[in-house]
Amino acid sequence: MSQAICSRCGQDFPIKSLFDLNGVTYCEACVQTASKEAREQGHPASYIPLINKSICARCNAYIGTSPDNAQIGTLRFCAACAPLVKDWDYPQWLKLSLAALLLLLVASLAHGRKYFQAGREMYIGEHLVKQGRYASALLHLQETLRIAPASDKAALLAAKAALLSGDVASASKALQDHNGGRFENADKPEFREVDSLWNRATGALTKANQAEKLEEQDGKEVEAARLMHEAASAYPEMSALAFAAESYEEGVAFLKHDYDAFLAIAEKQWKQQNLPGTAAAVASALACKYAVTADIAYRQRSEEMLEKARQLAQGNVDALKGLDEFEERIHYRLQSRTIIGKQEYDRKFRSVKAGK
Amino acid sequence: MFFIPGFVIAALTFPGVIIHEAGHLFFCRLFKLQVFDVCFFRFGNPAGYVVHQEIQDFRAQFFVSMGPFFANTLLCAIFCTTAFLPVWELKVFDPLAYFFYWLGLSIGMHAFPSTVDLSHLWAQAPGLARKGNVLAIVSLPIAALLVVLNYGRVIWADLGYGLAVGVFAPIAIFRALALIGI
Repeated sequence: MSQAICSRCGQDFPIKSLFDLNGVTYCEACVQTASKEAREQGHPASYIPLINKSICARCNAYIGTSPDNAQIGTLRFCAACAPLVKDWDYPQWLKLSLAALLLLLVASLAHGRKYFQAGREMYIGEHLVKQGRYASALLHLQETLRIAPASDKAALLAAKAALLSGDVASASKALQDHNGGRFENADKPEFREVDSLWNRATGALTKANQAEKLEEQDGKEVEAARLMHEAASAYPEMSALAFAAESYEEGVAFLKHDYDAFLAIAEKQWKQQNLPGTAAAVASALACKYAVTADIAYRQRSEEMLEKARQLAQGNVDALKGLDEFEERIHYRLQSRTIIGKQEYDRKFRSVKAGK
Repeated sequence: MFFIPGFVIAALTFPGVIIHEAGHLFFCRLFKLQVFDVCFFRFGNPAGYVVHQEIQDFRAQFFVSMGPFFANTLLCAIFCTTAFLPVWELKVFDPLAYFFYWLGLSIGMHAFPSTVDLSHLWAQAPGLARKGNVLAIVSLPIAALLVVLNYGRVIWADLGYGLAVGVFAPIAIFRALALIGI
């Protein structure tokens, strides 16, 4: 049979020139109109040459009119292809691969847990640095560096937080633990910022060390105080420098025999920080006042402060050692009502130089 | 810009190809479409394909075309997020983390739908968008962007997309978590 009838116009046409649309046969002219109408009505609008119905739409095998063939939608398939097309199953290896992928996903989450903790601490630290809460930020960033000491970002943030909270030792540790202080890119603004802070801080500490050495020498108190003030101004984040600078003013007042100023500064510092050193300084200033006024109240208070200094120094070997040396001179001042500096005292009464 | 043969890229990022095609197949099965042929991976162009029947329903067309894009992007974001910190931020040499990052990146690189997928979507979307079809309206800008990016593959737009997802998604996730205090 080489002829068939178009269902729309009713004319005879060769089969090879006819089309199939939703199971209905059309000639070439009618199939386009029928397809358009089908689309407008929401039905499938694709059509195929009628002759294609005698070959498998998937493997192109000739299927003729065999009863084993299957019509799926608008297409016909051979017995082998029909079930495949109808329900293309996932291959076994794919199912196993997807299961493996899920396992990898779980493994990656488990593996990343410690890094999540480190990252979390770093982002919190970074957030706190932006808020200017440097001391709090440092604690978080140190936790990050414990897991990842080689992280440029964490090391620089920790160093920045430490330097801006006056903690040079922690900054030094964060930087040194990072590949011995080496960074990938020294041109990064973050690195430059920390480098600048580091130079400022270490410059100030160098001056503070010089001031400390000068302060141990009689008659150098003014220069020592000037240097310590410069250090404190250069690195105001380190409150200890400002505190030290103020305490050095005690030495200047002592040098100028201004014992009221000496006592005022010493008492202010004692109020700010109850330390063996600040208690001893008050005792020293009160001893000076006793020496010049002979007011027994000053002597009593001086002895009380020495006792407080000793109590506070308990358990601190260095503080006790310093206090032993200091107490001896204060007792001499109280007993003799003579005011002399350490070096003069050492020259007069000590055969070997004692540490301050 | 340097040229690397497609089969080399496909070989280096084969998990992404397989997942992309598996995504097409999944949505074909979900919408009960006839599938004529599937290739999950081969050394050729394209590196994988799913041949399915012509789709009349726009929703099915959208998901079959775009489903792998969303699935690959999501998987890329997850894998890269788990490995992002040691690889990029913390600079910890952890081979397993680098493996997970490669896996994520290779999946993300194959997120883009093919130009054939997009052309089917593009053919139907404007008309339906004019009729107020929400999915068509949503798909228009995405499809337009993806068409451009698809052409950008010659300048490594696919790698760029994978890296963008693999870097910016973790940063966004971690920053958001840190901000809300988790």
